[in-house]
Amino acid sequence: MYATPHILTSCLIIVLIILVFPLLTTLSPHQRNSDWPLSQVKTSVKIAFFTSMVPLCLFLDEGAEVIVTSWTWMNTLTFDVNISFKFDMYSIIFTPVALYVTWSILEFTSWYMHTDPLVNRFFKYLLTFLIAMIILVTANNLFQLFIGWEGVGIMSFLLISWWYGRADANTAALQAVIYNRVGDIGLIFAMAWMAMNLNSWEMQQVFLTSEDLDLTFPLIGLIIAATGKSAQFGLHPWLPAAMEGPTPVSALLHSSTMVVAGIFLLIRMSPLMEKNPLALTICLCLGALTTVFTATCALTQNDIKKIVAFSTSSQLGLMMVAIGLNQPQLAFLHICTHAFFKAMLFLCSGSIIHHLWDQQDIRMMGGARFLCPTTTTCLGIGSLALTGTPFLAGFFSKDAILEALSNSHLNAWALILTLIATMFTAVYSLRLIIFVALGNPRTPRSIFQMNEVDPAITNPIKRLAWGSILAGLLITSNIIPLKTPEMTMPDEVKTAALMVTLLGFLLALDLGNLTGHQLKSTTQRPVHLFSNLLGFFPPIMHRLSPKLSLSFGQMVASQMTDQTWLEKTGPKAVTSINMSLVTTTSNAQQGLIKTYLALFLVTITLATLLISL
Amino acid sequence: MNPYVLATLLFSLGLGTTLTFASSHWLLAWMGLEINTLAIIPLMAQHNHPRAIEATTKYFLTQATAAAMLLFASLTNAWLTGQWDIQLMSHPLPTTLASLALALKIGLAPLHTWLPEVLQGLDLPTGLILSTWQKLAPLTLLLQLQPMNSSLLIILGLTSTLIGGWGGLNQTQLRKILAYSSTAHLGWMVLVLQFAPSLTFLTLIIYLTMTFSTFLTFNLNNSTTINTLATSWAKAPVISSLAPLMLLSLGGLPPLTGFMPKWLILQELTKQDLAPAATLAALSALLSLYFYLRLSYAMALTMSPNNLTGTLPWRLLPSQHSLPLAISMTASLSLLPLTPALTALFTL
Repeated sequence: MYATPHILTSCLIIVLIILVFPLLTTLSPHQRNSDWPLSQVKTSVKIAFFTSMVPLCLFLDEGAEVIVTSWTWMNTLTFDVNISFKFDMYSIIFTPVALYVTWSILEFTSWYMHTDPLVNRFFKYLLTFLIAMIILVTANNLFQLFIGWEGVGIMSFLLISWWYGRADANTAALQAVIYNRVGDIGLIFAMAWMAMNLNSWEMQQVFLTSEDLDLTFPLIGLIIAATGKSAQFGLHPWLPAAMEGPTPVSALLHSSTMVVAGIFLLIRMSPLMEKNPLALTICLCLGALTTVFTATCALTQNDIKKIVAFSTSSQLGLMMVAIGLNQPQLAFLHICTHAFFKAMLFLCSGSIIHHLWDQQDIRMMGGARFLCPTTTTCLGIGSLALTGTPFLAGFFSKDAILEALSNSHLNAWALILTLIATMFTAVYSLRLIIFVALGNPRTPRSIFQMNEVDPAITNPIKRLAWGSILAGLLITSNIIPLKTPEMTMPDEVKTAALMVTLLGFLLALDLGNLTGHQLKSTTQRPVHLFSNLLGFFPPIMHRLSPKLSLSFGQMVASQMTDQTWLEKTGPKAVTSINMSLVTTTSNAQQGLIKTYLALFLVTITLATLLISL
Repeated sequence: MNPYVLATLLFSLGLGTTLTFASSHWLLAWMGLEINTLAIIPLMAQHNHPRAIEATTKYFLTQATAAAMLLFASLTNAWLTGQWDIQLMSHPLPTTLASLALALKIGLAPLHTWLPEVLQGLDLPTGLILSTWQKLAPLTLLLQLQPMNSSLLIILGLTSTLIGGWGGLNQTQLRKILAYSSTAHLGWMVLVLQFAPSLTFLTLIIYLTMTFSTFLTFNLNNSTTINTLATSWAKAPVISSLAPLMLLSLGGLPPLTGFMPKWLILQELTKQDLAPAATLAALSALLSLYFYLRLSYAMALTMSPNNLTGTLPWRLLPSQHSLPLAISMTASLSLLPLTPALTALFTL
């Protein structure tokens, strides 16, 4: 009777122990051998993946979920902070997905970073990040979640600035930290509110005791936290800037795992959000705005990694839209499927970049299908999955979200924006394929061919390709939908997403055709610049707000306090008033006797007149 | 100057003041004042250079105007009340006229404008006589008047302290500074005249002592500007070290003697329910304190850059008798603990 919870709990704790073990071995000063990354770290992640399949199968068979409270860490009279894990549907499914993706990425990294002198440290950072992420998704209270939250933030900072000799990498890491921190304000506010009003951070107690309260403020705090972590519009510039880190970092953190932490938080807290229409509307509109804005920016980028980064951002907006529709399970579904094909897209980009000897500009690429055919094929599979080609992984989640959006009674503007973004997805994906894979090579670097000889390149990509194809089908067949989907709708609504995507493809092909003709004598700069320069958001925000706060600070501190109050109205006022009187008094001495006698006369006159009064 | 002439002039100077002290008839008092004026004129003009002559002329004209006004006032009083007694003036008009005439004589604001220019044209010893001895006779007469209009004297007093403060701030010539300081001190004296005349007398005596020391110090250093004060440390180091204290005593800083009159006057004014006037007078003392501080700064607190051997003082024999300076300097620095005795001593 008790076997299932025992097995579930034990397996998941064992997963954590397996992951932590290589980190513990790094505490000893004993030198590790050169294949420590491959033999220890990757193997531990692989074993952890297979171990986590056991709870997954148990869940699929019995629907078993477990909550483990293991230790009361801090307690005051009325408030306890525990270590408690929640292995419910979301974390039981997400953990194997994350481990599978990480396994592939680590294998790829062993080829990608093998010339780096500090490769052991790199693997250690990736492993630490993974542990923090697992802590985040399995947390049953907000404090533990916050530990994981901050952990992934810090590891993101360390990994983005891996090549710290590069100034751009350092500023990108700073951007990541600062934007994340701004989001953290929201999370801490929500935690404080809950500590004050609900007297606990345990999620079960939060859900129970918040039935009748007005939850607008903490929900807005949580939405701000998600905006920061998941790069929604307003706190989004750090995500494209984070492409300064090595490609494995981009694949793991900034596509599959870390950036979905914000969405995951909202999914966890979705019982709170259900009853608050304001929060749902905010999520909906914010998500729609994000997805269309970042898709617009992706259209004219020239760096292959930036295109994939903006694609990530756009999909994150779509997940936020799903939350705004009060469909957290669909958002979770998209998280899982998105992890596969986005990680694969990043790994393919990394492979192409290395094969072209560190060329990242797509205008200098071309003909990759000759250089690295496997990679190019998987690039195509990933792009098709991304655009929602029927029955690949992305279709199940993306189409479900768009159907739910079309059939809802909510914001039509959000619907239109999301459909436009879907079309743009097709456009930039096709642009990517055309520039990178088709045509002939435009860079001389391609003559030094590498030809994908190392299986460490192709095996991970192939594994993720299998995932991109099958994951959607597998997951949707095996979970129970928590909300009833709309089953009947007009044909046009049903095929809206597909039609829009096809339209996008056609538009892209047509636009590509136009590059051979010159229909205008000068180029259309403004729209292109808007898209290329990310909507001018980073230049404006990164310069305007520091300038405003610094000038305000200077005005208050030195002009208002020092100069005005402490000088001009204080000591210097005395000086200035008295100086005028002093000069008047001494200027009255002109050396004329007339002055003496005139003053005498005036005084006498005044005094005698005053007698009579 | 010929010693006989000098003796005659000094004797006449003393005679005039003594006559005024001893008189109860207006005409006799006026006569004493006139002898005073006439006696000091040759003393002022003895150096014969144009600046001295100009100062002499200005002094004569001002004092003559004042004396004429005083005579007119006493005549008006005789016409109106039929008697010539100084202490029995009861009509407001002659009282006011006489007060203002005496104010012009001693240099109270707003009738002070002649004092800086006259004092600037004189050498330091003659200036000393002008500042000290010449104030005694008119103040005696002022003490004996019964003012009908109490606010006149208060206004004169406050104006004098303020103008004495403001005027002295813009000066670099020591004699002009001392002229403004004289105006300020006379303002304090006049302020409390109608409430506690003994305090006026006390203030006068202490002021005479302090000014006496100041003038003699400047005379010893042969300095008439602030710049020349700066080298006084080399001529007479001990005096240069005490001079700042003396100047601060003039400024009314406790625990030096000059604090005594200001303290007692402020107390008397407060008792007479004139707190705003007391506050204003106290604040105006800050103005004059600033320029005394500036003088002491130039004299003793700073030194111009010099090499070490140049800082050794010259050990010259003193060319002047320094006993009077010693006595008055001691008095102007250390008499504050004897306040009760002095108050009792100088009671009218």
